[in-house]
Amino acid sequence: MLDLLVKAVAYSSCIGIGAAAITLIYNATRTFNFAHASLVAWGIYMVFTGVYLLGLSPYAFVPIAALLGAAIGLAIYFGVNRWLLRAKASMVNLMMSTLGVDLVLFGVLNIYSDYLIATYKVPAKYFVLEVRDPIIELGGARIRLVGVVAPLILVALVVALHLFLTRTKVGVAMRASIENPELAKISGINTDVIYALAWAIGGALAALSGALLSLVISGYTAVGMTTIVSFFAGAIVGGLFSIFGSLLGGLLIGLSEFLGITLLGNTLGGWVYAYRPAIPLAALAITLLLKPEGLAGFVVKVRE
Amino acid sequence: MLPPELLLIIINFAIGLIITISLNIEVGLLNIPQFGRLLAVVMGAIIAAAVPGRILAATMGYPWGAEYADHMYNFKIVSEINRALAVNPALSIGIFLLTLAIAAAVGGLMGLLCAYPALRLKETLGIVLLAFGDLAVTIAWNYEPIVGGTTGVFVIDPFIFVGTQLRFTVAALVALLAALAVYAYAELLVRSPYGRMLKAIRDAEIAAGIYGKDAVKARKQVLVVGGAISAIAGALWAFFTGSMKAVTYTRLQWTFWPWAFMMLGGVGNNFGILVGVLIYTVARFLIIVYKGVISAVVGISPEWLEYILVGLLIIAIILFRPQGLFPEKPVYSLPKRRIHEIISRVERELESRT
Repeated sequence: MLDLLVKAVAYSSCIGIGAAAITLIYNATRTFNFAHASLVAWGIYMVFTGVYLLGLSPYAFVPIAALLGAAIGLAIYFGVNRWLLRAKASMVNLMMSTLGVDLVLFGVLNIYSDYLIATYKVPAKYFVLEVRDPIIELGGARIRLVGVVAPLILVALVVALHLFLTRTKVGVAMRASIENPELAKISGINTDVIYALAWAIGGALAALSGALLSLVISGYTAVGMTTIVSFFAGAIVGGLFSIFGSLLGGLLIGLSEFLGITLLGNTLGGWVYAYRPAIPLAALAITLLLKPEGLAGFVVKVRE
Repeated sequence: MLPPELLLIIINFAIGLIITISLNIEVGLLNIPQFGRLLAVVMGAIIAAAVPGRILAATMGYPWGAEYADHMYNFKIVSEINRALAVNPALSIGIFLLTLAIAAAVGGLMGLLCAYPALRLKETLGIVLLAFGDLAVTIAWNYEPIVGGTTGVFVIDPFIFVGTQLRFTVAALVALLAALAVYAYAELLVRSPYGRMLKAIRDAEIAAGIYGKDAVKARKQVLVVGGAISAIAGALWAFFTGSMKAVTYTRLQWTFWPWAFMMLGGVGNNFGILVGVLIYTVARFLIIVYKGVISAVVGISPEWLEYILVGLLIIAIILFRPQGLFPEKPVYSLPKRRIHEIISRVERELESRT
C-alpha cells in the first residue's frame, strides 16, 4: 500500500508539472500544445540515455532533459508558432501546427531509438527505469527516491513560479501580455520575448515532467501519446487559465488514476483496472461539461 | 481481380475520402473543431463487428450473447455464418445494407452526443470530442462481450459469395462506390440552399440569426450527418479487413490524418479534399512499395519518415498555404451558363430602358 501511495504521489506530481506547461503555453499564445506528447517522451528518453549509455544516476539527466525541452520549445516558437501568431491564425490552425511538430518529433524520437538499438544494443523500444531509482530510508519506511523528489520539485516550482510571476519584472510583463497583449505592447513590453519565454518554460516543464515520469512508468516511443490525455485532463480540470490550478488539477488526475482505481477495484472487483485510461478522459469530459472553469473557478468565486 | 497494390490504393482512398468529406461537412461548412472523428468511425466498425454476426447467429441457432465475442467460439461461429452466406447472395447483400443503415443510425446518435458539448463549449470543444473518441476505444478494448476486447473478433463476410479470390476486389469497389456517392452528396449539399445557410452561419452567426436561421439546430444536424457518414466508413473498413480489434482505431489514424488530408486539399472544398486524399494515399503507397530503397538511401525506417513528412506537410500548409491546395470558392447554385444568360438579359433590359 505504501509503495502504491509513493508511486501515486510521484506520478501525480509529474502530471501536475506537465499540466502547468500546457496551461502556460495555452494562456500565453492561445495554442493548445499537442507537441507536449513528444516533449514528454523526449524527456523520458534523455533519462534513458543517461542511465543506459553513460551509466549515470537517473537524476543526472533530469536537468538536461529540461534544457532540451526548453530548446525544443524555443524552436517551435521561432520556427512555427511566432509566424502563425503574427498572421492571426485560428485556434484550430495553431493546434494543428503543434500536431505537425509532434509528428516530426515522434518520428525523430523513433529514429533515435532505432539508432540506439542498432549502435549500442540497448532496449530502447521498451524499458523500465524504476529499478534504477535508488531506495531511501524515510522514517523507517523504504521508498523509491522519486516519491520524494517529484513532489519536492512540484512544490519548488509552485514557489518559483509564484515568485517569478509576482516579484520579477519579466514575470509581471508576462502576466500583462497574457491578460491584454495590445495594452502590454503599448506600455513597451516586447511580447515576442515574453511568448518565447513562455514556450521555453513550457517546453522545459514538459520534458522535466517526462524525465521524472520515466522513474514511475515504463518507457516506449509512443508513451507521450498515451499519457497526454492525463496532462490535458489535468490542465482542464485545473481550469486552463491558472497555472496553479493546473498543478493542482494534474495532482488530482494523477491521484485519481492511481488511488481511485485501486479503491474502485477493491469494491467492484479486479476488472476495473483495465479501465484506468478512462479516468482522465471521463474527468476531462465531465469537468468541461459541468464546470468549464475548473478548479480555478472556485478560487475566483471565493475572491468575488 | 485487381492486383493487391491497386486494391490497397482503392480501399485507402475510398475510406479516407468518406471520412475526410464527413469531417469537411462539420469543419468546413460549420467550423466545428471535430477532433473526435474517431468516435463515429470506431462505432461504425463496432456495429459491423457486433451486430450482423449476432443477428445471423441468433437466427441460425448459434450462441449470440457474450459467447459470440469470445475468441473460443467467435472464429467457429463466424466461419459457419460465412459458409451460409457464401451460397446466399441475397442474404449477404441484405445483411450488408442493413448493417450500413444501423451503423449510420448509431453514428448519427454519436453526432447527437457530440452536440451536447458542441452547443456549450467554444475553445475546448475539440479536446472534449477527442476524449469522447478515446473513451469509446478504451471501452471497446477492455469490455470483451462487445467486440472481444483485446483479442478482437472476426467480422462476417458479406462479399464471400463472389469467391474468396474476388471478395477483396468487390469489397474495395463497393467502398469506392460508397465514397463517390458520399462525394456527390457533399457536392449537392454545398450547392443547396441548406449548404449556403451553413456557410452563412459559419461566417456571420448573428447576421444569419437575424434572418431566422437557427444555428443551434444547424450544428446538431451537421454533427448527426457527419457522424452517420463516418460510421459508414468504419463499417466498410471492418467488412473489408474481416476483423475488428479496437486498439487499431487510433486518434492519429482516424482523426488527425483526415484533418491533414483536409488541410492539404483545402478546407471547405470537396474537390480539393478528393485531391488531398488521393495525393496522400498514393504517396503512402509509394513509401510502402519503395520501403527497401528508401531505407537503403536515407538510412532510416520509412515508417518514421512517413511521420516526419506528414508532420512537415501539416506545418508547411498552415504556414504557407492555410487555405489548402484548392481554396474554397463561392459555389454557383445554377449552371454558369444560366447565370451569364441572366446577367446579359438584365443588361439588355437596362440598355433598352436608357
